Amino acid sequence: MTSSSRTFSQHTSLSSPNAPAVSAHNLTKRFGDLNVLKGVSLAVPEGSVTSIIGASGSGKSTLLRCMNLLERPDQGELAIADEAIRFTRNPQGDITGLDRGQLQRLRAKVAMVFQQFNLWPHLTVLGNVIEAPMRVKNRSRKEAVALGEHYLERVGMADRRDAYPAFLSGGQQQRVAIARALAMEPRILLFDEPTSALDPERVNEVLGVIRGLADEGRTMLMVTHEMHFAREVSDQLVYLDKGYIAAEGSPDEVFDDPCCQRFVAPAA
Amino acid sequence: MDFSWLSDPFYQEYLWQGFVNTLWLLLVSAVGGQLLAVGVALARLRGPRPLAWFAAAFSSVIRGTPLLVQLFFFYYGVGHLLEGVPGLRETWIWPLMRDPFFFGAVTFICSVGAYSGEVIRGAMLSVPPGELEAGRAFGLSGRQVLVRLWLPRAIQLCLPTLTGEMILLLKSIPLVSTIALMDLLQAANIIRDETFLVYEPLLLIAGIYLATTVVLTATLRLVEINFPGMRPRSRRWLPVR
Repeated sequence: MTSSSRTFSQHTSLSSPNAPAVSAHNLTKRFGDLNVLKGVSLAVPEGSVTSIIGASGSGKSTLLRCMNLLERPDQGELAIADEAIRFTRNPQGDITGLDRGQLQRLRAKVAMVFQQFNLWPHLTVLGNVIEAPMRVKNRSRKEAVALGEHYLERVGMADRRDAYPAFLSGGQQQRVAIARALAMEPRILLFDEPTSALDPERVNEVLGVIRGLADEGRTMLMVTHEMHFAREVSDQLVYLDKGYIAAEGSPDEVFDDPCCQRFVAPAA
Repeated sequence: MDFSWLSDPFYQEYLWQGFVNTLWLLLVSAVGGQLLAVGVALARLRGPRPLAWFAAAFSSVIRGTPLLVQLFFFYYGVGHLLEGVPGLRETWIWPLMRDPFFFGAVTFICSVGAYSGEVIRGAMLSVPPGELEAGRAFGLSGRQVLVRLWLPRAIQLCLPTLTGEMILLLKSIPLVSTIALMDLLQAANIIRDETFLVYEPLLLIAGIYLATTVVLTATLRLVEINFPGMRPRSRRWLPVR
């Protein structure tokens, strides 16, 4: 790449080296009568990888989706990349203390990769990648294209930049989705079961890309069912059970913890 | 079969006029109607309660009454009422108010707005929510999600149906011959009255409608095929079995 691309990859710039990139305190979330999160606290140190594991319905996707406010917690506090929010509700049920500007700023710093890829089918691969940098971060088209090409190269999809998503395999689509997230140059990358919708042969190409990002020292928070992978790449593992954190710590600690033995045993 | 009247320049002029008026009315109604349709769909899905209610009522009334009745309603009813408005005769709007083309266009715009509005509303509801969620997750505003993601995707999904709506519109246009607008049917009527030939002029304009429909279908199919992001199998001229 050209010399200008070097600036793109400086992703680990820190404002305050010791503050965690994400810190959540006592988050609760209820859907109707269902208590999905019952007071979850979590800290993701800058430059580290945290994986959330747990059975279906344990609340792990909800927890992840709270991090970019696709779900709004009912209560608790969240500090993400210099934005701090304390969740309380006014009588109308709206969240107080969160204005639209803060929401946009926060979302521009937290990029998400979805289980179902969720690429925009009417835009080309490059179009998908440059959309948010142009519209949200006000990059010029030229800058956005340079960024986009850089990150498409990074995930090995540069040669398909003009293709539409419908012409790509699932693994290729997910790699484009990762490039789309990277092009926002986010402080934190969120992965929501990034390989669950892929057939087995395609899983490794996506895991390979994610492993590479982990090795670069990016801050990542990941929900996954790939136990081997989670154990291998994570600095921290969080085992969520019925809306509580049942175990957390280094991968080895969590895998050896009696409370999640039953869950991780087949993989360990 | 006697087509000797075709060589008469007066009849040629009628037919040409009729053809041009038909196409103009089609174009104006299609463009205006689709814009209204997007408005109707948005009002029903995202509008404040009273506006959503009004849009729903509009759709029901337009779709629940005959097009010919609507045309008469606008031309005779509203047109007549407007004559009573003091001072209107002196404004620039007045010549428009005397023009059957204006009332035809208003009627068809409302009709397309109501029918296509429901089609577009349905298509908007069938855009996978994850795509819009991805837009929000990346910080796009509600308006950006709508303009950049939601509407283009909805239109992509319902293009074939909208093509059908446009063909129906083309074939509704002969109704305006009843309000003294020189469209193709009106031209045929005049030729019939003067030559006492019933079938020949009708056959001719039927052929013209058919040819126009074929061209219209092919054009819109071309738009469909070239719409960004169409699935590979939708890009063929003929549907894949």
